[in-house]
Amino acid sequence: MSTMTPPLTFKSYFSNIWTAVRTVFKGLTITTRYIWAEKPVTIEYPEVREVLPENSRSRLYNDVENCIACNQCATACPVDCIYIASNRRDKEAPKIKTKDGTPIRLDLTQYVIDTSLCCYCGLCTVVCPTECLTHTTDYEFSQYTLDSMKYDYLEDDIRAWRDRIVK
Amino acid sequence: MTFDLSEEEKIESPQGSEENIKSEILTVNMGPQHPATHGVLRVEIKTDSEIVTEAISHIGYLHRCFEKHAENIDYRGVIPFVDRMDYVAAMNMEHGYVMAVEKLLGTEVPRRAEYIRVLVAELQRIASHLMFFGTYSIDLGAFTPFLYAFQEREFILRIFEELSGARLLYNYIWIGGVWNDITDGQLKRLSGFCDKMEREIDKYHNLVGLNKIFVERTARVGVMDEDLCYDYGLTGPILRGSGVKWDLRKDRPYSIYSEFDFDIPVGTGEHGVLGDCWDRYWVRMREMLESIKIIRQVLEGIEAGPVMGKVSKIIKPPKSEIYLRTECPRGELGYYLIADGGKVPYRVKVKSSCFTHVSVLSAVAPGLMIADLVATIGSIDIVLGEVDR
Repeated sequence: MSTMTPPLTFKSYFSNIWTAVRTVFKGLTITTRYIWAEKPVTIEYPEVREVLPENSRSRLYNDVENCIACNQCATACPVDCIYIASNRRDKEAPKIKTKDGTPIRLDLTQYVIDTSLCCYCGLCTVVCPTECLTHTTDYEFSQYTLDSMKYDYLEDDIRAWRDRIVK
Repeated sequence: MTFDLSEEEKIESPQGSEENIKSEILTVNMGPQHPATHGVLRVEIKTDSEIVTEAISHIGYLHRCFEKHAENIDYRGVIPFVDRMDYVAAMNMEHGYVMAVEKLLGTEVPRRAEYIRVLVAELQRIASHLMFFGTYSIDLGAFTPFLYAFQEREFILRIFEELSGARLLYNYIWIGGVWNDITDGQLKRLSGFCDKMEREIDKYHNLVGLNKIFVERTARVGVMDEDLCYDYGLTGPILRGSGVKWDLRKDRPYSIYSEFDFDIPVGTGEHGVLGDCWDRYWVRMREMLESIKIIRQVLEGIEAGPVMGKVSKIIKPPKSEIYLRTECPRGELGYYLIADGGKVPYRVKVKSSCFTHVSVLSAVAPGLMIADLVATIGSIDIVLGEVDR
């Protein structure tokens, strides 16, 4: 495809130079203004940490005491990264309830989320009937191995997050 | 250090110099990892010195089996996958898919939800065009405008983060409405943003668009005339850059776009010929201004009310099929959905605009310089996530 450029005349030669100087100068004035007239927008990350908005979707947290093992989150998950196992609770065992009064009929034996697979879409937290599965605003959870991205929420050390989460 | 001068002498010797210098077509790979390809696109270029004689684009590096995935997930679960197609304009992707499912279901969407949908779609259009502006400047060798554009984009992403909880892949527009309501404080901030954005676009245009170096790099380069656009099925800003006044929001109004008053910017060939790279750039810049116009009207007209319509917990559309297209920042996006009455869609076929846009490269490239090819690839603004899906 030919790109026809108009012929270069004596007049257009100098007018080209003039436009170039004028427009480059115009651009430079805009850039120079940034030295004093604009506030810096970047934050120095490790020293200054940004606080995410309230409903920001970051690391998942399950409050297993309130979980009734209904399996709805695992069904809703589009990438199938929630693994739940449960046993039927003994009839003789003392009756327990969640915070909002739903009776717990199933004993949770496994509640694992593979965070490396999770796509943080938030569909699991919406279907949760007792609202025990929530997204936290905690975004610093990098790990060295893939295995350590699997969070078993029945373990004690993960239960300790409870104090860290903002929500 | 010694040089073997015999080779040099051979070339410099006047007699028989033409016979000794061999000229042949050189094949060069641009990409898959190249800053100008905006992702993983490989362009196989056959060059005659600096002139490109043939450009063949190889795609598929980012293929994630979206359509096969969608056949195994329920209708709500497809939305996060839809986000990941065009990750720069995820809201527009959701909007199209959700409208298609709602048409199948026959769901009524509350007015407030429709307003919010239009609002976020137009904000996303601005964010996407800002991304184009920034990366296009980088392609042409200017780094500073990229940072300026990202300042404004940051504001939009922050609003989206407050609304949906995510910065890039929102899952915000749901079947039947939207996830969260927008607050008055956010609407007020947006109206302030509109005023600021108008000034910013003017600034960007002065900084980059009118710059003589930029004009020389883009005007009369990669010309796509009207016939070429029809031949290759080009849509969106490229078609409008070639002087065709066609915008689905205006010509086939969907959602509540028919209630808003806005213009369709078309290319004028101001600095070169109609349909060159500069026209496509200028169409996108003016589209941002039109989006601001729509956002202003949304802020005036938004009504109180619910944001979620009545949708059953398990979505089961009746046996039917639909093809629905929307105007995305990059062009026309079509969804072809077949429902067989089950919980999962039978088929979700996506007609992506970027995919068709990539094909035009081989038609435009012959005769361009290599540097001009970079400018052309930048100006058609492809996102490889949408090309490969």
